[in-house]
Amino acid sequence: MKADQKLSYQVEPFRTEDRPRRYLEAFAAILKHSNYGPVLDFYTRVAAKCSRCTAACQVYQASGDPRDIPCHRSELLLRVYRRYFTLAGELKARLYDPFVLSDEYIDEMAEEYWRCTACKRCKSTCPMGIDHAMITHLARWILAEIDIVPKAMLVSVREQLEGKTKNTSAIPAIAMKDTCEFLSEEIEEEYPGAGVKFPMDVEGAEYVFFPAVSDYLMEAETLMGNAAMLHVTHTSWTIGTTNFDGINYGLFYSDRMWERIIKAQVAEIKRLRGRKMLIGECGHATRAAVEGMQNFIPPEDRVPVVHIMQLAYEKFLSGELRLRKNAIKERTTYHDPCNIVRKGWIIEQPRTILRHICEDFVEMTPRGMDNYCCGGGGGTVSLDEIHDFRMAIAGKTKAEQLRRTGAYYVVTPCANCKKQTDEIIAAHGLNMQKVGLHDLVLKAIEFEPTGSGGG
Amino acid sequence: MEQWLEWARGPVFRACFAIMLLGLARAVVLNTASVVSLIYDSRKKGRAVSWGPVVTATLQWMFPVKKGFQARAVFSFTSMLFHVSIILTPIFLGAHILLWERGLGIRWPALGSVAADYLTLLAILTGAALLAQRAGASASRAISRPQDYFLPLLIIAPFVSGYLAMHPNLNPFGYNGTMFVHVMAGNLIFLLIPFTKMSHVALFPGTQLISDLGWNLKMGGGQQVAIALGKENEPI
Repeated sequence: MKADQKLSYQVEPFRTEDRPRRYLEAFAAILKHSNYGPVLDFYTRVAAKCSRCTAACQVYQASGDPRDIPCHRSELLLRVYRRYFTLAGELKARLYDPFVLSDEYIDEMAEEYWRCTACKRCKSTCPMGIDHAMITHLARWILAEIDIVPKAMLVSVREQLEGKTKNTSAIPAIAMKDTCEFLSEEIEEEYPGAGVKFPMDVEGAEYVFFPAVSDYLMEAETLMGNAAMLHVTHTSWTIGTTNFDGINYGLFYSDRMWERIIKAQVAEIKRLRGRKMLIGECGHATRAAVEGMQNFIPPEDRVPVVHIMQLAYEKFLSGELRLRKNAIKERTTYHDPCNIVRKGWIIEQPRTILRHICEDFVEMTPRGMDNYCCGGGGGTVSLDEIHDFRMAIAGKTKAEQLRRTGAYYVVTPCANCKKQTDEIIAAHGLNMQKVGLHDLVLKAIEFEPTGSGGG
Repeated sequence: MEQWLEWARGPVFRACFAIMLLGLARAVVLNTASVVSLIYDSRKKGRAVSWGPVVTATLQWMFPVKKGFQARAVFSFTSMLFHVSIILTPIFLGAHILLWERGLGIRWPALGSVAADYLTLLAILTGAALLAQRAGASASRAISRPQDYFLPLLIIAPFVSGYLAMHPNLNPFGYNGTMFVHVMAGNLIFLLIPFTKMSHVALFPGTQLISDLGWNLKMGGGQQVAIALGKENEPI
């Protein structure tokens, strides 16, 4: 047992003996118990190697390194699949193909698949529709089954599923409650008489709230805005004290963990007899919940998943959420988190609110479904040891995009994007401030009835 | 040489064409079965297939007027013209239609000879341009396999030989020899279609759909993997 020093990210010590055999066993088991086989079969047949994906990937554009070409990266796994799991590969191996899976090849995959931010931007430029992010996702799962997984991911998931606190940041429930009480007092101090509370363990509430748990540590303004919005709109909501973390790193590296985490979250909703799952400002948590609910939860146990920006938008349109027009004077722009925008889920909802409350709202280019990843997607933002890569390469395009807007506020409604954006602002010397949508909603909210509708 | 030409046009063509049809049929049947099974599984567990985006993307790529210019515009435009010319010319060439009529008694409208000439030249030029762009761009070179260079050359071979055969004043070789190369190159293309990336001639309509269905994750699949690997009782 030893940790592999070749990787740019930290891993816990893992078994190094007989890795190719164990890798192929893991690959075979996953193919047998998943639906990825037909996809790989298609991809191995039709991949055209046209290199159009090079024009879409911000990692390759910044690095210029061929190993960062999405099609090149995907080929690493497709080659193994073709060689060991297809008849043609078997025949070619007997006739002329010298390829054999080696320790070095596994190390190469372990490195390359964690240089992808899984943003899915390249998929829209692929004539064959190859979803390179899916290949990255699958490749990471296979690696995880032979214990090659970034320590930051592993430790977090371990705590979330098997630890005492049941959340990725290891925040005890009592500390979370204290934080919420403190935030209530903060709101009261700023907006006397507002009376905003963070309801805990309320049974039968319509919404059970799952923000990214890191918000409790680092995004107080966002949480205060969330609570204020829910309070003024008289929304029935609660936080569960035995599971209050929306983060699901299974999306980044293992379907096995993804399923366990979403099941634990749904169990908390059932314990509280909640009716809907409300996700905070977090892109991956939203996608993990929406897709995880459809895939891993039996229909009879499912509950609707709602992103808090969708809810705020509906409340704003209905007039329940009253926001002061042009309350934000500084120039403001909006960053689309990949996991909620790429399929077109959430694009205009936050913009409708921002156009109302911001005097000077500007778009970055490109925007919406074509927007660039912040450079910390796919879980890479949690790997502090690759900070330089995230700043100089993966986040370079985003930094240029941000600079061109000339904005003071950049709204980044995602816990991962927030951390990455904060670091980009510092590393690239940008004169701007990262905020969540609800940070600004809090500044614009009308706590007293005025009779004027918001929408 | 005439006998060789008859051999290439006769038994070799029939064998290659049959292998292409059978190979593609196998690929289509197997992949369609997988797709249908995944759709059924999706429906059974109430997972919505994103039909709207899937159909839109499929059509956008089948007729890539808009999509084609979003990335690597010159390469994409060249590729689009290449595909149009290599699809239209062999199917609607009068001489080819005549062969089908002789063999199977079926016919359809033919291109005029001038249009066929221009399309043939377009196929040759765009094929060569695609090859040059692949070889000239470091990113393309980095991901190219031998087949990515060989196939464009192979595909333009019957166009070059066909053009020369139809224009004796430009052809330094004998007619029968040129036609033999033309027919055999075509036969080799048919033979290789099911075994190379050219299989997208049949599989292309399903590529966007399969990418959506790939996210139809198996309920309990992770636990089954853990059991298969003897890890079900291991802590994380």
